[in-house]
Amino acid sequence: MLVARNLQKTFKGKPALKGVSFEVKKGEIYGLLGHNGAGKSTSLGIILGMIRPDGGEVEIGGESVQQNQGKALAKVGAIFESPAFYEYMSGWENLKVLVGLSGPFHEKEAREVVARVGLAERIHSKVGAYSHGMRQRLALAQSLLPEPDLLLLDEPTDGLDPEGIKWFRDFILDLRKERGMSVLFNSHLLAEVEQMCDRVAILKQGERVFEGSIETLRDDRLGLRISAEPREVLEKVVLAYGGESKEGRHFFPLGTEVPSLVHDLVVSGAQVSECTPIRRSLEDVYLEHTLS
Amino acid sequence: MNFTSQLGGELRKLFSRQRTYIGYLVFLVFEALLLTLWVKVGREKIVEVAERNMIPADQLYSSLTSTYWIMGFSMFLIGSIFFALVAGDIVAKETEDGNLRMVLCRPISRLRVLLLKYIAVIIYTISFVIFVGISGYLMSLVAMGAGGGLFVWNPDMFILAVYPEWGEAFRRMALGAVFMGLSMCVVTSLAFFFSCFKMKPAAASVMALSVFFIDFVLQNIPFLSDYRDRFVTFRMSNWVYTLAEEIPWVRLTESYVILSGLCLTLFTLGWMAFQSRDFKT
Repeated sequence: MLVARNLQKTFKGKPALKGVSFEVKKGEIYGLLGHNGAGKSTSLGIILGMIRPDGGEVEIGGESVQQNQGKALAKVGAIFESPAFYEYMSGWENLKVLVGLSGPFHEKEAREVVARVGLAERIHSKVGAYSHGMRQRLALAQSLLPEPDLLLLDEPTDGLDPEGIKWFRDFILDLRKERGMSVLFNSHLLAEVEQMCDRVAILKQGERVFEGSIETLRDDRLGLRISAEPREVLEKVVLAYGGESKEGRHFFPLGTEVPSLVHDLVVSGAQVSECTPIRRSLEDVYLEHTLS
Repeated sequence: MNFTSQLGGELRKLFSRQRTYIGYLVFLVFEALLLTLWVKVGREKIVEVAERNMIPADQLYSSLTSTYWIMGFSMFLIGSIFFALVAGDIVAKETEDGNLRMVLCRPISRLRVLLLKYIAVIIYTISFVIFVGISGYLMSLVAMGAGGGLFVWNPDMFILAVYPEWGEAFRRMALGAVFMGLSMCVVTSLAFFFSCFKMKPAAASVMALSVFFIDFVLQNIPFLSDYRDRFVTFRMSNWVYTLAEEIPWVRLTESYVILSGLCLTLFTLGWMAFQSRDFKT
């Protein structure tokens, strides 16, 4: 559905993207994770043709955004972190103006979408009087008109209350289920990514440092909580197995034999009182990738 | 995709903003002020000039003559400020507010986005000038009554014309308003051009007004009088030739071809700048 190849961009001599590639398959929810300044928004800007890359290309549905933006974006909807509508116009007028840029505005379809996002009662009020949550619902409505095949979400749940976040998440998941829509989800809210995405890419300083499923991301190493004395012996054995220690937890390459490890600890003279497998949170994994 | 309906959307945006109407309101007040002064002291001056030129003054001290003076005085100075403000806003304000992100993620080219905005501000400019003409005339009708002709006296452009018949006078005045509207499109184009660059909306308006007023001051410097036709504001003043008894069509056409070329150049340069810009999300 979407292929980003070797995206490169420099702003005032400072590299923002250094050859980032990824692919969003049909019906997939793909997450772009990273700190502020990691290159997530720049990637999204290039995908939408708002930023011209120094190198690389984006294809949506087989059409190059850089060569033929009109065709490539014909079936794309997008939501930004702080959607900026025309405050002095009603939600309905905003929809008419924005959707009209993509083609004819079909009132029946628009009314259905507005009802679905729960904005029917306030759609004729001025946007200036909308709450943040209502603006996000309006942003969602405009992104779904006309019906897209690919949805690009840039930090869409930022600033929403927990109820709003859950509503938004369920809405997107339902959409995917009903229409098989592909979604590119750009966020630093790990819990959201964990609950929504099939696959993620982690960006760090303009480079992709990981790509894979959430499970792969979480289970790429073996985590153990080991209590043993003396600690020097424990550290020595952990290092010998290619592991590392962090805040009382120890991480080893996949395939490490735990009985063998415990045996070596005992043979080395350590008194082992605990050896429990631990499941790393997405936050742990994310921080390991981004802070290393 | 329907260009007309997209242009309708652009005009809806423009005319839904309250500040678009500030200009209309200020002009109504300004016109009323000018009309008051005209009624108080204008008659004396008209009679003096008319008698000196052996023209019957009574018929020419009329609502149409009053409209001509009101438009001539108000539009270049005050009108240019409003056109610069509105056109300076049209791209830069949307960029600043983030509206443009919502627009540019649609399958529409940047050229088309700019073209829609440019046509919208040009329509605003011409309709505003016509509004000033109509409202000025209606106010004058109330103050001075219907009938009478038109007396045009513009020493700077060497024009002295008399239209004693209301019909001919009205036609000339309407033609003049249209050409004045076309002249003011230059200010609009200038502000639009700056608006396409990465700058604050106010900066775009100030830049446009600076260029406009510098040109105006230079063309009025006596030792540059031989070069007046090289200045844009002089070419813009040529609308007044539509009120001359014998309209110098060649000269008028030459000026408006130059002004149109300038507007087209400004639009093209603005588009090139806009096209090369990155809009960060």
